[in-house]
Amino acid sequence: MKPMRSIVSRLLARAELLTSSLPPTRAIVREPGNLSPLLRMLGIVVMATALTAPPIASAADTLRRPNIVIILGDDLGFADMGAFGSEIKTPNLDSLTKDGMRFTNFYTHASCSPTRSVLLSGVDTHLNGLGNMDEWTAPNQWGVDGYEGYLNNRVATLPQLLKDAGYHTYMVGKWHLGKTPEQIPAARGFERDFSLLEGAGSYWDMTNFTAASPQSVFTEDGRYLTRLPDDYYATKTYTDKLIGFIDANRGDGKPFFAYVAPQAPHDPYHLPREWRNRHVGEYDKGWDAVRQERLKRQIELGILPAGTKLSERMWFIPDPIVLAPASRAILGKKMELYAGMVENLDFHVGRLIDHLKKIGEYENTVFVVFGDNGAEGTDLFEMIAGKPGTRDFLFAAIHWSQTHPNAWGDPGSYVAYGPMWAQVSMTPFSQYKGWLAEGGIRNALIVSGPAVKRPKGSVNHGLMHVADIMPTLLEIAGASYPKTNDGGELPALMGKSWGPVLAGQAESPRTEQDYLGWEIFGNRAVRQGDWKIRWQYQPLGKGDWELFNLATDPAERKDLAAERPDKVRELVALWDNYVRANNVVLPSRSPFEALDDQLPKRVPDDPGFPPLIYKRQFVPPKDMMADPKP
Amino acid sequence: MKNDKGQMKPVAWLWLCVAAMLAMGAFCPPQALAQVPARFYWKTLSDANAVPLIINSINGNTNPFDAAHTVTPGADFDATLALAGYGRTFSLLDRAAMAAIILPMGRISGDVTVAGRTFNQSASGFGDPMIEFNVNILGPPAQKNIPDALRYEPGFSVDLLADLAVPIGEYNSDQPLNIGQNRWYGRLGMPIIWQLGPWVPGRRTTLEFLPAVWFFGNNNDYVGQTLKTDPMFQVDAHLTRDFTERFWGSLDAAWYYGGQASINGVSGEKLNNLGVGLTLGYTINDNLNLTVGYKSTVNDSAPGDLRMDGFMVSFVYGWHPLLEGSKRLKEGEK
Repeated sequence: MKPMRSIVSRLLARAELLTSSLPPTRAIVREPGNLSPLLRMLGIVVMATALTAPPIASAADTLRRPNIVIILGDDLGFADMGAFGSEIKTPNLDSLTKDGMRFTNFYTHASCSPTRSVLLSGVDTHLNGLGNMDEWTAPNQWGVDGYEGYLNNRVATLPQLLKDAGYHTYMVGKWHLGKTPEQIPAARGFERDFSLLEGAGSYWDMTNFTAASPQSVFTEDGRYLTRLPDDYYATKTYTDKLIGFIDANRGDGKPFFAYVAPQAPHDPYHLPREWRNRHVGEYDKGWDAVRQERLKRQIELGILPAGTKLSERMWFIPDPIVLAPASRAILGKKMELYAGMVENLDFHVGRLIDHLKKIGEYENTVFVVFGDNGAEGTDLFEMIAGKPGTRDFLFAAIHWSQTHPNAWGDPGSYVAYGPMWAQVSMTPFSQYKGWLAEGGIRNALIVSGPAVKRPKGSVNHGLMHVADIMPTLLEIAGASYPKTNDGGELPALMGKSWGPVLAGQAESPRTEQDYLGWEIFGNRAVRQGDWKIRWQYQPLGKGDWELFNLATDPAERKDLAAERPDKVRELVALWDNYVRANNVVLPSRSPFEALDDQLPKRVPDDPGFPPLIYKRQFVPPKDMMADPKP
Repeated sequence: MKNDKGQMKPVAWLWLCVAAMLAMGAFCPPQALAQVPARFYWKTLSDANAVPLIINSINGNTNPFDAAHTVTPGADFDATLALAGYGRTFSLLDRAAMAAIILPMGRISGDVTVAGRTFNQSASGFGDPMIEFNVNILGPPAQKNIPDALRYEPGFSVDLLADLAVPIGEYNSDQPLNIGQNRWYGRLGMPIIWQLGPWVPGRRTTLEFLPAVWFFGNNNDYVGQTLKTDPMFQVDAHLTRDFTERFWGSLDAAWYYGGQASINGVSGEKLNNLGVGLTLGYTINDNLNLTVGYKSTVNDSAPGDLRMDGFMVSFVYGWHPLLEGSKRLKEGEK
């Protein structure tokens, strides 16, 4: 049976190769079972040819559509990869930049599920169901279309379209776009999956964070798991599973689309012991010094222009040089662990790359790598575990109380590195995840593989958005975006294909008139060209529109709203357009609504102030010193 | 999404961590049964201080104030023994070191049956103070500051140990049973700590060994005679395990070999005995540690065998200027 199967597989593969080289009309690629008479005839010819063809690579192989791998780091910061200025060692991710290109002006959303929803649907969050995170949907958004808290069925998904176009579609990692049977990866276009349906959880087991929802839910190939595999560690297992998926279907010659969405480096920083001590003491110097070093390297690498300044150190974060060595050591150890998380992630990406090279698929694989939002500066655990006497505090006491630093990384530990290191991860930008400052939404992007025609290793500064990935990959796969899905009209894609940029024909997929809009948790922003307005809750925002010129001030240090009211008006008009076009319903409640009362009063971060604690011991001139007179 | 002010305050657990290290028994001194308790040679922050007080109630056929454990066949002694002392840790060429002085005190009484006649003897007072010096030679460097302490894990560490007892304790040459020993003696050893698994309070497990050789000078006035004792080889072993962050226990064993004594050239028997025991430790507060234990020899049925068993309660009060100052500041905040 085996030889016969093999021949049949090869024939099918060759037929598929042929269809893939044809013009990408939806009718053709979405319904391979209903091939046109012309195609049927061509297929028969190819099959007949194949029967007599020698078993070596034919010219058709060169026309094979590329595999596609999206690697979505969870809370991975703009400056966390070596190729983007980090001291964290990421040789495998960096190798993709050497074989591809880097993008410095790429935007996601400010939190994870909204970004993921846009990535997989190509449609704005307020239309695709993630107008707010499920965890924070406001009362006035309940029941409103576009605010379901899961990826709704009014959108088509990237894996669904790629599967219809003849791709194998695999997913491993975090889903966070719905848990019911009709919302899980298998129902949204993935043939194979091994998925954590939650937004976060233990990397070691099924423990989740609250007494109300104590257990993480996983699926594998559309079935809800009763337990996890032996020897489970999230990043490792996800990689193992994906390699298994790829190998299982390799013989049929179809290209694959793999959505690799590891939890890493999202907190809690669960990490095998051998990865925890690779940066011991390295971060005791403090966040300011590391930010300065990263910025210097970013400028040297061409990621940022010379003269770029760091954003303000947030006013409630102390200057590390005034902290005791013990404080710096313990806070630094959190960053050591984070660095280990990123390096472990890189290691497993390396395993995937090596495997693709080994099976001869690497050269024909397009990689798209980025983080889903800004680095995490909020203490999620504090929000969840709450205060003594609460239900979830008791849950945390039993399941999440391994607080000793030597336990950090173990099951039951919950470490996150805090806003000071989140700012490092987002060097040189301002703020972090959840906010619409650049530190919340701007991320590093790598694209490599056969789609990239520019010189390897090049850096591009064009204005890109996560919504662009859907049209870009459909184009690469030779597929198209349909007008309807299951009888319903689909919303238009909001992104623009990167095809011309990757081909070296354009510097940006956008014109100066195109704009991008964001809204999450009531914070809102618009970018057009070099200009950006943002409205954020106090005290990270002003409760009013702020205006920044990102070309001259990427760190958003200087609010130009008072100087340029005309520009503010212009951009606010775009915001209004965005609201209308996307059914934006500003939330009546927000996680940030009371933040003004929880943080210290906002003050500038003037270096060296107050002199009281910075001025060093006065040493008089030696020749003027004397013992007291008798 | 409250911002992370909590993560900026590492002091609270730091306090517990370092205080626990101070009080967890790192300064327990040598004691009766000539076996130091488990976790005795765990390292702590340099420049820390401790005052131990150890109380033993011991019964056997040897004088527990005598490290040579010279057996008196047919004897049955009861002793109440206390050891008080002072210890200080420091860094020596970047290695963890500790110096301590221990003063034994107490009383002992017992019956000695010789040729069918039973004699009763007793003694009380202060014993021979012992000076101890220990330095780590293999393992992590000294914990010179709190960051070092935070990162400390023993892994597999080996120390060099030297003890010297100064013969100034109370001694009555008219009887063999004494608190002081009227001779110099001391010990050279190599404490070994082998960390098994994570070094996380509540989950620490260690296997510990202390191979050592005791050397004894002559007592030239042992009831008018000369007492000589050959060197004695001793191995202490402990398997220790945390039960909680503040509560731990250990299984203890000790093997004694050699130490053949002779009086005016008439030799007794070599020791070749095994003792086993249990220890439980509890950290009462940031400064104070409590240990209780019981030990007993096991192969002790023959008249010449070492036979000894005893209960032990120890308190160790530890302090470090940095912690005490921090505590004052913390109190001031209230």
